[in-house]
Amino acid sequence: MIAYLQNIAVLFCINAILALTLNFIMGYAGIFSLAHAIFFGVGAYATAYIAMHASDSLLLCMAASAAISAILSMALALPALRVRGEYFVAASLGLQVIGVTIFSEWKSITGGLGGMIGIPRPKLWGYTFNDDTAFLMLALVVLGIVVGITALLVRGSFGRSLMAIRDSESAAQTYGKHVNAVKTLSVAVAAGLAGVAGSLYAFYISFINVESFVLETSILLMAMVIIGGTGTLFGPIVGAALLMSLPAALTYLPFLPPTELGSIQQIIYGLAMVLLMMFRPGGLVGGRSKEKSA
Amino acid sequence: MLFTQLFINGLQTGALYALIAAGFSLIFGMTRIFHAAHGATFTIAGYIFYECYSVLHLSWPVAALAATFAASLFGVLLDRYVYAIIQRHEGSFFTVFVASFGMAIIVQNLIAMIFDRGAVTVSTPLSKSLEVMPGLYVAPIAAVVIVCAIIFFVALQWLLTKTNMGIALRALGENPTLIEVYGLTPRLLSQYVFLIGSILVVPAAILTAATSGLNPAMGNHVMLISIAATIVGGVGSLRGAAMAGLILGMAENLCLAFIDPQWSEAVTFVILFLFILFRPGGVYGRAVMS
Amino acid sequence: MKKLILGLTLIQAAWALPAAAADYKIGAIFPMSGANAEYGQIFGTGVNLAIEHINADKKLSGTLSVIYEDSQALPAQGVTAATKLVNVSKVPYALSAFTGVSKAVAPVGARTKTVIVNGGAVGPDLATLGDYFWNVIPLANFEVRTMAPFLVKEKGFKRVAMVYVDDPIGQALLTDLGTEVKAAGGEMVGSFSIPTTAQQFSGIAARIRDTKPDVVYIASYGNQQVQLIKQLRDNGINQPIASYSAFSTPSVLSLPEAKGVYFTAQQLNLTRDDPLTKRVVADYKAKYNKEPGAYVVNYYNAVLTFAELASALEKAGKPVTGENLLAQRKATKTFEFVGATVSFAEDGTVKAPIQINQIVGDGTSKVVVAGK
Repeated sequence: MIAYLQNIAVLFCINAILALTLNFIMGYAGIFSLAHAIFFGVGAYATAYIAMHASDSLLLCMAASAAISAILSMALALPALRVRGEYFVAASLGLQVIGVTIFSEWKSITGGLGGMIGIPRPKLWGYTFNDDTAFLMLALVVLGIVVGITALLVRGSFGRSLMAIRDSESAAQTYGKHVNAVKTLSVAVAAGLAGVAGSLYAFYISFINVESFVLETSILLMAMVIIGGTGTLFGPIVGAALLMSLPAALTYLPFLPPTELGSIQQIIYGLAMVLLMMFRPGGLVGGRSKEKSA
Repeated sequence: MLFTQLFINGLQTGALYALIAAGFSLIFGMTRIFHAAHGATFTIAGYIFYECYSVLHLSWPVAALAATFAASLFGVLLDRYVYAIIQRHEGSFFTVFVASFGMAIIVQNLIAMIFDRGAVTVSTPLSKSLEVMPGLYVAPIAAVVIVCAIIFFVALQWLLTKTNMGIALRALGENPTLIEVYGLTPRLLSQYVFLIGSILVVPAAILTAATSGLNPAMGNHVMLISIAATIVGGVGSLRGAAMAGLILGMAENLCLAFIDPQWSEAVTFVILFLFILFRPGGVYGRAVMS
Repeated sequence: MKKLILGLTLIQAAWALPAAAADYKIGAIFPMSGANAEYGQIFGTGVNLAIEHINADKKLSGTLSVIYEDSQALPAQGVTAATKLVNVSKVPYALSAFTGVSKAVAPVGARTKTVIVNGGAVGPDLATLGDYFWNVIPLANFEVRTMAPFLVKEKGFKRVAMVYVDDPIGQALLTDLGTEVKAAGGEMVGSFSIPTTAQQFSGIAARIRDTKPDVVYIASYGNQQVQLIKQLRDNGINQPIASYSAFSTPSVLSLPEAKGVYFTAQQLNLTRDDPLTKRVVADYKAKYNKEPGAYVVNYYNAVLTFAELASALEKAGKPVTGENLLAQRKATKTFEFVGATVSFAEDGTVKAPIQINQIVGDGTSKVVVAGK
């Protein structure tokens, strides 16, 4: 029983980190990204490759995952952020599609469609996280750090610049805010931390393949952020918890045919997205107003 | 001969993409609503046609009419009961997009539940190709596709330039507040836009059902193409979107002569990225900075 | 007084008896929802029938039941499902499906010494997942060894073109087909890889036509293979088509364009005259109005394997744990499966005869070459 709960808890931490980071760019910066799963994946593959071929040091792998994801995101952000919001959506969608193709084809690095198997557990200062409880502690610590970083950035002047840009780019520019630099930096931070989540994922499941990083995953993350509440610090965490428990909760309703559970689950969060946008755009935590400062 | 074959295939795919993209671009250009449920409209049209024609064995005009009715009903109701409410109190790009997206997810899964997740095809002898020249296989349906596309575009052009309605619609795209001054209602016009935009996908959906088949998740691919074509063609330009759809369809097929099929979907996005990088205004559009 | 003590002892003995008859639970990590739920359903029919038979025959001292957990055919969910089965339901034996899921859950089985059995996926990498991962379905590379000589030598199709999905199965089949075709005296005239999400194949058809093959070998699965067959035929490919056991799904069998297509499958001689086979065929037909396909039979066999091993362990007085099941399997020479007699190799794969089927066009296939 304990192991089962630990399993759920670790996956929750990973999803919460992803939702928090996506919220950082969507809710606070107003940048709409459909490619978050790709940054997650890049982090996972980077860690897997390094852990299996070079070193299983926790800090090294995580740092590498964060760095590679961040740099990749800048390649996306720099051109796409020059133009309007819709363009970033399109570009991120493009990145999601191309990313999946690259994950499936670059066999020497990603193992192709077969994925990478046998990723070792990480080592920190001589201690290997073989025990599941220890790994859960690690995941919680990382989650805590991500919450901390997010809170720090959002509540400080960086966060204010971000929200100013979200609300009105031209006004922000008039006030001397370096719009592009701020936007690009926020995308980089979000992507880097998503890469860290990927690193945790790779270490935990010991097997990764492209199936975990497809468009459906990006959509699920978006749903978590929106339902929980954009532009709030705890909204994404609530969203992550809710959407993760949805499949399990549905199994307790006996009148639902089991083969349709996945579809019903998706319909529920699709419906939640529509209804929330109509009546409560701030999400469950945010409330009526979408523009809530944290 | 391979190249000619791929060229013809590309024309067929491109014609379908042009129709789809035109519908999306019309809606987006004139109402500024990022109708992410456009793919859902396509899926609904395709499946209703399949249900009427292949399952209930009604004649194809009846089935086509049913599909048109279903698609336009979906588009108009969505605008009236969802987008209208959102626009009334807030209407930011984000909110509308998310609602639209949520709708698309609901439709995709409802269809998966009703019709089964496997692919279904509408069997018709038209899809069987004939060897018109040694090494060149063309199916009658390719001709149907191209003719259909031309007819619909001519009709659209006539509608937008020669009728009062059409002129009002174009005005809606330029300046919604101003048309209120002239006594027209943007809301009503917006519904007409959705009606027309949704009708445009119906022929594409029916023809896709007969050639590559339908599956509940196909809406995603439709959205990809719509968005890419709209940007490459230039936001606000119907002609641009149609042209871009054609270009993307051709590129997707012609590239098979040089590279592995894995990458053909990526080609669409490489083209998109290049445009975003070097010519964000697209082929016909106005330059857009935020 | 003596009578009282005797009476009490007897009562105590009577209380003790039921404890020896333990009820058994096995797990099943299947896609019960999502795009691949169809497979989960099919597999489940085989599992349920086996459980019914085993309980009716009282093969084990207690009742056997199965706990289904949803993997959605995705690795991470599969791991959660497996963890639940192992830690909460405490099963010693679980069924798995889909290569990606299997590769993710195998470490869970290895760590907890739980036996995990695959009856649906045929990826050759499934042979490398450790002692606690077994396969009751012969893996894909065996199938090619039977198909290649049939196509090249018996049918005279010397020029072979191949369309494949670029995953481990596809890659393994590509390599093996290349070797086997060459060994049989044929030639691989072209190989074309397609992405898993591809739906449009007119371009591929054009390129295949260009290579002028005698036969086209397809390595795909699910929806895509149906589309592939139809579109190849639509686009001027009239040559015979061949594939591996993935073609044994209802959607392919009932596709009109698939008439005449050859595919290999684990020997499933449903007309075999042994009581087990006859009973399974009869009962399945009575329930579902059709003959059991390969997947149904494989999962039936997987549950049967558990029953055989568990019953042997009971007789030897050993507890039914994963470790003991593994040891018992290694000690058992052959297993009577539905439709064939098989034996397990050291690496947990099964050696079974392979047969070649041809699709008739009415939703069934007929055997053209029986397994040896």
